[in-house]
Amino acid sequence: MGGVYLESRLEFLRKSQNPDGGWGYFPAKGSWFEPTTYAMLALQGRRESEGDLDRAWRLLRSWQLADGSFRPSGQVADGTWVTAHAVTLASVRGVDDASVRRSVDWLLGDVGAEHDVLMRVASFFHWIPTKLDVSHEGWPWRQGNASWIEPTAHTLVALKKVSSHYRTAEVERRVREGEKLVLSRRCSDGGWNCGNPNVFNYDLPSYPETTGLALLGLEGRNEEELAGALAVARRFRAETKSSLAKAWLQIALRCHGQPLETPAEIPWASSDIMLGAVQALGHPEGNYRLFGAPGVQL
Amino acid sequence: MTRRKFAGLSAAAVVGTYAGIKLQRPPKLSDGPAGKSAVAIIRARSYSDDLVSRMLQGIRECGLDVRGKRVLLKPNLVEFDAATVINTDAAVIAAALEVFHRLGAREVKIGEGPGHRRDTLDLADDARYRASVPKFDRIFTDLNRDDVSPVRGFAGESQFYFPNTVLGADLIVSLAKMKTHHWAGATLSMKNFFGVVPGSVYGWPKNKLHYLGIAESIVALNRQFGSKAFAIVDGVIGMEGNGPIQGTPKPAGVLVMGRDLVAVDATCARVMGIDPEKMTYLRMAADLGHVHAGRIEQRGETIASVRTNFALIDEYKSLRLA
Repeated sequence: MGGVYLESRLEFLRKSQNPDGGWGYFPAKGSWFEPTTYAMLALQGRRESEGDLDRAWRLLRSWQLADGSFRPSGQVADGTWVTAHAVTLASVRGVDDASVRRSVDWLLGDVGAEHDVLMRVASFFHWIPTKLDVSHEGWPWRQGNASWIEPTAHTLVALKKVSSHYRTAEVERRVREGEKLVLSRRCSDGGWNCGNPNVFNYDLPSYPETTGLALLGLEGRNEEELAGALAVARRFRAETKSSLAKAWLQIALRCHGQPLETPAEIPWASSDIMLGAVQALGHPEGNYRLFGAPGVQL
Repeated sequence: MTRRKFAGLSAAAVVGTYAGIKLQRPPKLSDGPAGKSAVAIIRARSYSDDLVSRMLQGIRECGLDVRGKRVLLKPNLVEFDAATVINTDAAVIAAALEVFHRLGAREVKIGEGPGHRRDTLDLADDARYRASVPKFDRIFTDLNRDDVSPVRGFAGESQFYFPNTVLGADLIVSLAKMKTHHWAGATLSMKNFFGVVPGSVYGWPKNKLHYLGIAESIVALNRQFGSKAFAIVDGVIGMEGNGPIQGTPKPAGVLVMGRDLVAVDATCARVMGIDPEKMTYLRMAADLGHVHAGRIEQRGETIASVRTNFALIDEYKSLRLA
């Protein structure tokens, strides 16, 4: 199997599952949607984890609200960007029912607030002190806020998984728009930050982790178009000290078919559950392919 | 509506361009609460100075009693760039940890939730926190990923979520960095509270605060937590120009401390050559503390003896203190 690197991380995930079925950001902490998503994806397909994954899925589904959105944890009352993760997980688990479709409907109805008419007018007259293209529809962290790279990337991953069988035309339109938004928010250094490349005519730098996530959202686009960004991602991966950023970059680069060496067989030595899951996903024998949507050409 | 005002309103809704500038004028600057507030300015020309004794001096000047309290140190950890000084220096955090233990705190923890970066521990590593602060990993909480509880009535919201580590602290020490800021003019002890808003709920950046308004959010956070806060601002080496990330180092050689965070920020602004009475968030916060120089008892050094004008970007040159 995956050797010490992968197996020690998967074993850590199995041992750190909460009694309610979810995972916290750290062991013995309350369950959250985000680390539960990554832990589930990392353990997906492991026969010994099937029961654990079923329990986790039941917990997450109990967090769905009537409008189709999902709460980020049992401690929070309102639905957020994690709804994209719910759609991705449903697709990975082969679930396609009315509740999943409500989530897709919710995502299709969610647009970054900077895309409203007032902002587009202000942008047209150059009244906004950022060089920001507000003509495209992306996704915010929370309804009513502006679009950012990370929630947009996660929603692109989710919608590409359902584009072939539900509201295809609208899903494809939003995917194209979301991809344009991501491309328009690229920093002058070739990567991506949270989603704001310039303020008051000062260029802002990109970050390695958001560069990885942006590329994940752009999977399926012409590789030649992304050659520069992939080169930046490779450089970031070589240079960054951030374990999380390196893991996201590995997932993104592998999803884009970039050759990467297998990580050294270093056993797991952290208490960060999300990091362990994302690292496991980015291993060559990990489940990084679950972020992709093979065959989707929009 | 002037072009600038419209731009401000538009900015409120756009990425990274926030509602700090509102259509309405900031309120008339009030006299603030009754009495005066003590703010200590203590010289520290280098991070290798004896910061512990300097902090103890400042805390004594301000009459803070921490015995038996659960203390949360909240540094300003934003981003790392070896070429500049974005974050509260590790030496200041290490000194504060020792100081609050010495003063009899029941426990001292450290917590931060960076606004843009997700790998908080990696940032802490880059900023030398893990190497310089004893047992850092054991006492540090990533506030972006802590468990949370709802608070009612924050900034007019029916519910707003804060990390349990923050809600459970008896005293929050804002270990801020003395920096200019391209949306707020300056970022000091009050804006440092942005880091207590959990990214797991509100995202990276915490865009909800931008929609509430930068100045409004600064005031609301201090209305929520100011009564159990103390400030120690790291002005040993601050940042001028295009802060809070891309500015340049500016030695000011001071630590500024106090229980009234409005007065601390007003004092820091004056040290930086910025007129605090022109800063929107301080005008809005004037019912929480003192902005007027006449209502602040300056302990330690005088402002005049340590004032050093921080370079301001064009958009904030009008804030320059006469």
